[in-house]
Amino acid sequence: MLESGLCSYVLISYGHSALSSDSMQRMLLDLSGDDAVFGHFGATGGYALAARRAMHEFGTGPETWKKIAVGQRRWANLNPAAMMHSKPMTEADYDNAKLIVEPLRLPDNCLITDGGRAIIVTSLERARDLKQPPAVIMGMGQHNPSTVIAQSDWMAGPTGARQAGEAAFAMADITLDDVDACQIYDCFTYTVEITLQDYGFFKPGGGRDWLQGGTIEPGGRMPVNTSGGQLSEAYFMGMTPIAEGAMQIMGRCGERQLGPATRTKSPEIILCSDNGGILQSHSCTLLRRL
Amino acid sequence: MSYDKPLPKLNSDNRPFWEGCRQHELRFQRCSDCGHVRWPPSDLCPQCHSTEINWLISKGIGKVYTFAVYHTAFHPGFAADLPYTVAVVALDEGPHFMSNIVGCRPDEVKCDMPVKVVWEDVDERITLPKFRALS
Repeated sequence: MLESGLCSYVLISYGHSALSSDSMQRMLLDLSGDDAVFGHFGATGGYALAARRAMHEFGTGPETWKKIAVGQRRWANLNPAAMMHSKPMTEADYDNAKLIVEPLRLPDNCLITDGGRAIIVTSLERARDLKQPPAVIMGMGQHNPSTVIAQSDWMAGPTGARQAGEAAFAMADITLDDVDACQIYDCFTYTVEITLQDYGFFKPGGGRDWLQGGTIEPGGRMPVNTSGGQLSEAYFMGMTPIAEGAMQIMGRCGERQLGPATRTKSPEIILCSDNGGILQSHSCTLLRRL
Repeated sequence: MSYDKPLPKLNSDNRPFWEGCRQHELRFQRCSDCGHVRWPPSDLCPQCHSTEINWLISKGIGKVYTFAVYHTAFHPGFAADLPYTVAVVALDEGPHFMSNIVGCRPDEVKCDMPVKVVWEDVDERITLPKFRALS
């Protein structure tokens, strides 16, 4: 629409009083339908089923997920706007946290937040002389397997991230090696693992080794969810990752800014993901510096 | 004590299934055109979009495809059951059916564990299919 001149600017916004109302819980409970007859509710249960199948098929588990939870919390402690700022978490804290729906513990779950995010999309031509340097969309892909996941035999993947990622990388004409950082939709820690795995960052079950040594943390070689993400900053659906990706490219992230301030690569290209349902829909967006 | 958990909402699609449960039969729709056995019940076959069906009575035997152990009661009716096991059972005839694993501790449940249906009569209208280890 922008390229054809049908519109000049597109505002994409999200806002929700999710923490101070019960609307998020009611939405999730309504989705349960007759699964509630057997005590199966909401998103945590659905992702717990997927995570358990993944443990069986490729040997993942809490040792992998805790690196994600703790790593993202370190980023949140560089972000004064994060709900979990000033609330450090150690691996021992993770191990001792309450089980919600096993195998998922409390810190495997995303937050519920009052607030919102907005981004504006315009043409590259218009963006060149804006006050802020823009983040340029260089590739996009979507894949929506959609099937009720409990009926599928691919509950441990590949998710829609496989084909969405292939489409986005083909459009951008780059490879994984060109990516400097990732903003991954992280409703649960396991979602981060399966998404990175399906994009091809590691083989099935290789996440545990890949995450060793602070890979995704400040100072790491592949920073992930640099605002703290939905686990430790705020939950605004797919707007949490895409807004952080754009802000990092624009250089507007203060203490958590990728580059010398956080002993990471200055970002030329950032991969952002979104996901819906219980791993039923997926989109991938690649952003680059102008 | 009265039953304080949610009960299935019967409609024209799923009524034959729940009436079957009352008689301790697991009935699934089988597509008359392509043979796909499906759950949940629906007008259209998700494989070939045919509307023609016949009803298959499952032997009630399958394997645990995956499971989750609830340590939190999202509904007060389940508080006394914690921790309890929700599982997706892959029935031998094909459908994946969500239910509970009963008769063993949650830490005894494994993926691919063989299970068979057992029946829990709730009231004069509803009987729930649950599963236990096949040994």
